[in-house]
Amino acid sequence: MSDNESKPLTELLAEASITLDASATGRDDAIRQAGAGLLAVGAIDAGYIDAMIDRENSVSTFMGEGVAIPHGTLAAKDSVKSDALSMVKFPDGVDWDGNDVRIAFGIAAKGNGHIALLSQLATVLMDPEKAEALRDATTVEQVYALLESEDE
Amino acid sequence: MATIDGSSIKKLIVACDAGMGSSVMLASTLKKQLAKNGVTVEHSPVASIPSDADVVVTQTNLAERARGVVPGVPVVPFMLFLGDPAVAKLVKAIQNGDTVEF
Repeated sequence: MSDNESKPLTELLAEASITLDASATGRDDAIRQAGAGLLAVGAIDAGYIDAMIDRENSVSTFMGEGVAIPHGTLAAKDSVKSDALSMVKFPDGVDWDGNDVRIAFGIAAKGNGHIALLSQLATVLMDPEKAEALRDATTVEQVYALLESEDE
Repeated sequence: MATIDGSSIKKLIVACDAGMGSSVMLASTLKKQLAKNGVTVEHSPVASIPSDADVVVTQTNLAERARGVVPGVPVVPFMLFLGDPAVAKLVKAIQNGDTVEF
């Protein structure tokens, strides 16, 4: 599959799919905004966003450190056109089933192109200082500097 | 209750619903923590967990499904992606070669 090759970070997480000063009325609104970021870069068709909410209702994608990674179900993979991530930052936080979420990363995955980026995100979240820097980022340059892959 | 001998773990599978996001991140973290222990860490959708797995790590509400897919393979359920006590206990058992119960 051609989708398995690694894309550069700026293509996988395009500037057009990053919003750093959003606010949301609740979890589902936040997921819809993360989905809209994926839709904006043509990575999904609109039906995928409902699958993201379905998935969240069955299993939470809250990761800790104020970060959630909403994504669809296996059944919705046909709605995915390419591997991509979106990032929506909520400086005032969103009540995410009782957790305080500051950043939602929407994920659309067809192949494995997004795995290096998720690995790097895991590395950032394991380091409390880097996780805080990501929550406090105000420019896309800061985001890219933190998420640029250090290995693989 | 499953008894796990940490020294016998060679293949650890992190399973989630779609194998798309959450399991990828935990697998990547575990891969780093267990790199020195000769353990293969892979992520997989619950429905297609490979039968040669030595242990499966999955979210609590997927644990029953995982047990149905690979009967006989110990399943360690977790709640938190970062800093879950069950995952920490498993990692420690593998690193030290201890036997633990879940």
